[in-house]
Amino acid sequence: MQTIIENLQKHFQVVSYHQQRENLGFLIASKEVAVGLITHLRDYEGFAHLVLLTAVDWIEDEHFQLTYLLHHPEKKVDLGVRVMISRENPEMYSIHHLWEQARTYQRELREMFGINFPGSPDVDKPFILEGWEEIPPYRRDFDTKEYSEKTYFPRPGRETHDPAEYMKKKLYPNE
Amino acid sequence: MAKLNDILSPFTAWKHVVREPVTIKDPLNREAADRYRGFHKNDISECIGCGTCESICQNAAIDLVPVEGVDTKDGDSGLRPRVDYGRCCWCGLCVDVCTTNSLSLSNEYTWVDEDPDSFRFVPGAENKSWDNREKGYKKPGNGYELYNPKREAMEELEPEKRDQSFIEIVQGYSKEQAEQEADRCVECGICVATCPAHMGIPEYIKAIRNDDLNEGLRVLYDTNPLPEICGRICTHKCETVCSVGHHGDPLSIRWLKRYIADQNPAEEYKKILNTENLQPTGKKVAIIGSGPSGLSAAHYLALMGYQCTIYEKLPAAGGMMRFGIPEYRLPYEQLDKDINYILSLGVEIKYNVTIGKDITLEELHNQYDAVFSGTGLHMGRSTRVPGTDHPKVYQAVDLLRDIVLGKEVPVEENIVVIGGGNVAMDITRSLARLQKQKYGKVGVLATSLESEDIMPADREEVIEAREENAVIDPGWGPVEIETEGDKLKGLHVVKCVSVFDENRRFAPKFDEEQKKFFPADMVVESIGQGMDLSYLPEAFKEQLDMDQRGRILVNDDFQTSAGWLFAGGDIIQGPDVIHGIANGHKAAMGIDKYLSEK
Amino acid sequence: MSKKLLKWNEDRTLFPEKNSEGKIDVDYDSHKFMKIWHGPQHPGITGNMSLELTLLGDEVMDCETHVGYLHRGFEKLMERRKYIQCFPIVCRVAVPEPDFNEYCFASAMEELAGIEVPEAAEWLRTLVLEMSRLQSFLAWIGGQAGSLGQGIIGQWTIYLRDLILDRFEELTGGRIYHMYMLPGGVRGLLPDGFRQRMTENLDEIEKFMKDVKKVMFDNAVFKKRTVGMGVIDPAWINPFGITGPNARAAGVAKDVRKDNPYLKYPELDFEPVVGKDSDIYTRADVRRRDLLMTVDLIRQIMTKIPDKGDIRAKTPNVLHWKVPAGETYSRAECTRGEYGYYMVSDGTEYPRRINVRGPSYTHAVALLEKMIVNANIADVAGLMVSLHTYPPEIER
Repeated sequence: MQTIIENLQKHFQVVSYHQQRENLGFLIASKEVAVGLITHLRDYEGFAHLVLLTAVDWIEDEHFQLTYLLHHPEKKVDLGVRVMISRENPEMYSIHHLWEQARTYQRELREMFGINFPGSPDVDKPFILEGWEEIPPYRRDFDTKEYSEKTYFPRPGRETHDPAEYMKKKLYPNE
Repeated sequence: MAKLNDILSPFTAWKHVVREPVTIKDPLNREAADRYRGFHKNDISECIGCGTCESICQNAAIDLVPVEGVDTKDGDSGLRPRVDYGRCCWCGLCVDVCTTNSLSLSNEYTWVDEDPDSFRFVPGAENKSWDNREKGYKKPGNGYELYNPKREAMEELEPEKRDQSFIEIVQGYSKEQAEQEADRCVECGICVATCPAHMGIPEYIKAIRNDDLNEGLRVLYDTNPLPEICGRICTHKCETVCSVGHHGDPLSIRWLKRYIADQNPAEEYKKILNTENLQPTGKKVAIIGSGPSGLSAAHYLALMGYQCTIYEKLPAAGGMMRFGIPEYRLPYEQLDKDINYILSLGVEIKYNVTIGKDITLEELHNQYDAVFSGTGLHMGRSTRVPGTDHPKVYQAVDLLRDIVLGKEVPVEENIVVIGGGNVAMDITRSLARLQKQKYGKVGVLATSLESEDIMPADREEVIEAREENAVIDPGWGPVEIETEGDKLKGLHVVKCVSVFDENRRFAPKFDEEQKKFFPADMVVESIGQGMDLSYLPEAFKEQLDMDQRGRILVNDDFQTSAGWLFAGGDIIQGPDVIHGIANGHKAAMGIDKYLSEK
Repeated sequence: MSKKLLKWNEDRTLFPEKNSEGKIDVDYDSHKFMKIWHGPQHPGITGNMSLELTLLGDEVMDCETHVGYLHRGFEKLMERRKYIQCFPIVCRVAVPEPDFNEYCFASAMEELAGIEVPEAAEWLRTLVLEMSRLQSFLAWIGGQAGSLGQGIIGQWTIYLRDLILDRFEELTGGRIYHMYMLPGGVRGLLPDGFRQRMTENLDEIEKFMKDVKKVMFDNAVFKKRTVGMGVIDPAWINPFGITGPNARAAGVAKDVRKDNPYLKYPELDFEPVVGKDSDIYTRADVRRRDLLMTVDLIRQIMTKIPDKGDIRAKTPNVLHWKVPAGETYSRAECTRGEYGYYMVSDGTEYPRRINVRGPSYTHAVALLEKMIVNANIADVAGLMVSLHTYPPEIER
């Protein structure tokens, strides 16, 4: 793993490599170099298998994290490439030309996080949510509870009590 | 080009034509496996309505509702879980986390009903056909715990190191230990009602978990201005009802409180508690006695902008906390930390002033807008058995006070202490230390009416006293102190069979046959204290509402019938620091109400 | 891979020319084309998803998959729940084999929290995962046979699957959703007599599987419909992210149990089952042999599993368990391929993000859309089942 990273550093600017366990590491690459780096990993280092592509919303830091998890079928190691992109105008270069399933991932990310991948086939087509009008639902600022309370109605007859509050009411209401 | 075999082979299927069907003949009455997670059962007499089942349920399928026949009382919220099977997913986490092990799942899984609302019921309270089924899902054993039932051990001084000196025994939790201990809390809040001051216990424990000790201190001061003190010597009634204690050790609530107070530096209190700028009201309140209730009242009155003056008979503040509790339990440094903070809010103390002698109550009434009295119980009670008037018979409270004041205290080689409460343990252990210093060995014995299981002293006090080589021999009633001139020979006792009658009233019964003699050179009585209300002028006393036993009657605001006079602490509620603090707080609010309306 | 087999996919002389995007120009006004919806309610679809098929005659010209009929937003729901409250949810991501979710979720969390699971619990987890694989294969084999017209196989294997579900009920207290692998350990030791009953069930399964082989696999009709059909080119394995039996049938011995060993697999004796021809028949046969290997693995586990011991490690109080900040990926070999949980913690009581990687995601969308083109409408169901996919793990 260490040699792979050392190799990588000769060609790319890799920031903050973190070895999670023996066969799994994460590194951060900038948006500009990421696709080149991933292509390099796939074609020259042998990370041929794209395990997953997903996003994490770091709303406090105003950016999305994209995680490309790559697997090396011979060395049996995984490398996660983390890319931070601005939350204001979330856009990332597409990798649909590298892996066939990437276009599905990118379509889903477009729908669930609102991250655009210009050039990715069918990226604007709804994938899971047809006719969705709210903000992309997997963003942190989408409140599922509020949405469900707005959309569905609760079953009548439910009431609950907080033990401490209830005991206060019963045992020492005036204190 | 299919092979012949590929055409013939599928006919193998025909051999199953004559096979017995595998279908279950009566599927509605098929019994599920022993561990099957079916409908809920709840042992409603074990359940305390702590609500951890509700808080772990990710489906919000559990509500806590009042149930007929279950009363709200100490340690029991009176609520019971109601399960909504429209939401339940039968994961059984409610069973795993149940603090009393009352909740379980039966292995019944078929139930047909036309009314959808019947699928929402209180297990245990509404009878169901599976209530008596033994089988079903219960909390697994074999190291399976969702929270740690074991208490984080407290570091204490070795008995050999502590029995010669008065340095503090309990070392206090480290950050790691405190966080581990705080982690065990299930945040049910059952303890809050039992705490006389109704402290926000779950909140300050949460502050420890979040490593936000400033917030913890704020929570403490909401209801208790003496956290260093209470964190050491509180009678911690909260721990007796802790839900985790039902099947494990209760949370160490007292030590956690102490941890918060210890970790916050005194210099920063005002900043943390936001008490740097208080708005004065211009009104003045006099407080008699600087014990817990007086200090508590002064603190909350000062926060509300009242100018408070405390009148203290002794040369130092703290009342029983300083003059009744030995230093090995409550170091003066910590006592002063709490008191000095209250003084820093603008509270003034006048030491060595006795009301009725140096200044009269009438004068206070004229000089101040209101008066609070928290004079406490400082007069030792006597057993009044023959021989108690001998000069070698002492009162525990007097001796404890003299030790603090630095006076010469009589320490004989063989001492018998009569009493089984915390004060008895305090004097026993203090004398043991002094004996060790003077004679190099311990020769003190404590005996009480109550047998070991009902001794009022805290359990750890008894254990620690024994560790320090004091003898504790409970269950005896004193008959006579044998004396010979100015010498004391010892104490004659008989077996005490029971202390209380059926109505739980004090009515000790003895077995005169079983006798014992404890040889001693000195006897200390510690069977309780009485109050000294001599500072109240006789004429005034007659106007004041009092009960037959001579105790002042107060309303919910701790206001006496005189209106301007408020009273609290031990003289109202009996000896207990945390009650005193609670009284002082309530009285402060009562005084505020009285003065605002005036 | 023989030339003959590839031909089925490559022989395009009958069909219209492709445009620059690699698709045919569909002109509905020409009345040559027909659009039909295959699913979401269709017995040949594994779970609720639908295929929007464009047909020319009875040949599929174009296919678009539609998912979302089962979307419950689990990944988002988990962000609003404490870690322990996610535990009853995760099993619902993949209905027919919930245990892989439980395992991946628990192990990711344990890795971030630095918790060592007791020995007995590791063995029990291994057992439950293999039992889950066994019952999932048994359900699948009925589906595969049924989608190609052999109803009887399903009747047998659903009975066999029920035997395993009985054992699940006994061990975990649940038949379908077991909720057994709690973070930190498991929820119970083997009940008394479990080994005996399990062994009897395994004997029964092995006996029946011989008949299944004779009736289903040594069957001229089945062979006729599956040999040379739906070939996955080994060259597609990495570009499409194909894993599990789908990859192994193409001759690529991918198996997480061997590649990245977890739990007690290093102590078990097994070799990944591989095939050669990569058609529907080979995939079915690989799964059948995999099923028998699972039976063998369970027998091995039964001899090694301890009867006593702690079943759960000491963990923080689950009501406010803060998992240290960090991220990790935990994977397991499920019946259909690589199953994994990508977990990101920000150090609070709630997970920051949990992403489920199910093999169906790649198999049922990108791969299926490619393979289904030029298939006969009558083979669509068989083809789809041969990929062994579950829609709920696509839409999580």
